[in-house]
Amino acid sequence: MNGEMGCDQVRDLAADLAIGIADGQERDAALRHAATCPSCRRLVAELSSVVDDLLLLAPSHEPPPGFAARTLARISPPAARRRATRAGAEQLPARRRWLPRLAVATSIIAALAVGAGAVYQGTATDRRLAASYRAVLAQGHGSFFTAAPVHGPTGTAGTVFGYQGNPSWLWADVYLPNASAQRYSVQLITRDGRRLPAGTAVLGGTHDTWWADQIPINLTNLAQLRFIAADGQTTMVAHLNARSPWGSG
Amino acid sequence: MWTLSDEALLAGLGSGDPEATAAFMNRYQRRVFGMTLSILRDRQAAEEAAQEAFVRAWRHASTYDPRKGTVAAWLVMIARNVSIDMLPSHRPYPVDPEVLLELQDPGPSQEPGPSQDRDSQLAPVSGPMREALMRLPAEQRRALVLAVFYGYTAREVSEQDETPVGTVKTRIRAALMRLRSELGVSDER
Repeated sequence: MNGEMGCDQVRDLAADLAIGIADGQERDAALRHAATCPSCRRLVAELSSVVDDLLLLAPSHEPPPGFAARTLARISPPAARRRATRAGAEQLPARRRWLPRLAVATSIIAALAVGAGAVYQGTATDRRLAASYRAVLAQGHGSFFTAAPVHGPTGTAGTVFGYQGNPSWLWADVYLPNASAQRYSVQLITRDGRRLPAGTAVLGGTHDTWWADQIPINLTNLAQLRFIAADGQTTMVAHLNARSPWGSG
Repeated sequence: MWTLSDEALLAGLGSGDPEATAAFMNRYQRRVFGMTLSILRDRQAAEEAAQEAFVRAWRHASTYDPRKGTVAAWLVMIARNVSIDMLPSHRPYPVDPEVLLELQDPGPSQEPGPSQDRDSQLAPVSGPMREALMRLPAEQRRALVLAVFYGYTAREVSEQDETPVGTVKTRIRAALMRLRSELGVSDER
């Protein structure tokens, strides 16, 4: 499509424009016309409004536990983002992009763990990040976060994040690029030695994978998170050590 | 408890205000995750898309123009676009569009809990729109839902339904025009 469009052509295309499925060249020509034609511009705007309202019909679903915290870990202040960019973080392969996010999350959690006073002595960026997490905790009536490495057969395989609240939850991000995806039984080991089943997880493969769930115990009573492969052997474990709300115990 | 308007919360998100950011997330996370899950049908992929939608909202909060629509519509459109970008090309229909609409029937589980902020902009819209949508001829409704929710072009719908592309275009256009007419939509916001 080249040249100028008339009102009839733009009206034929108005629905596609509103939905966002118009072909690029047609879209450009139609929008050029609409920019100078109030009638066509109004039609496209009205149909766009209908599309907006249609999209609001999509059902709501409760996101997985920890969704807000993980998202906030990606929403870092501009200063932190600039530092990450300078370090080349955005040039990482796509499947490794979670690493800087986890690093941000881990640093926030570590900052919280050393106490509010220490946080306040940090930079303004750190204080804003910490404030974000305090706000999240306040929204969910939670009391603290914690984190620990997940040890796999060949070293650290990921990180588990814990949230003490009502309910409490765990979220483990695991990256096993050299292992094919397989199903693991998830087990919680309490400080008094009880073994509590916590469902299953499919982990491994070329993408980073995760498991998350609410847990039926206080996070301070949790000693280990285990991922057990079908052969019955413990193949990955994280040692949790959250004895006090603001300390690593 | 946050009672700020959606626009104020979005401004707070864009400026990095931590409490506004948390309130914004709390207000919209179910809606955004619902959108991405409806399209992607995979919880991990849906979470990734929903996170990306919030990140984009944060980065581009300053570009939001209230004259062009509500914050809810703006954010859900971002979530929809992110999700569509994550779908493989030439994909089969991810879900029967009628199923998606059935899911929308609001029930008790859709209501926010006591600690959750109500999304005040959503409730008044969905009832009349849903009713109007369900009054459309089935073939028009199907084509429209596939285009709006899943980003299918008329040609893609035509190929998968083995229906002439002109017919599909006509169905989409007629459906959207009829909804506009029935709902008395105007661009006076």
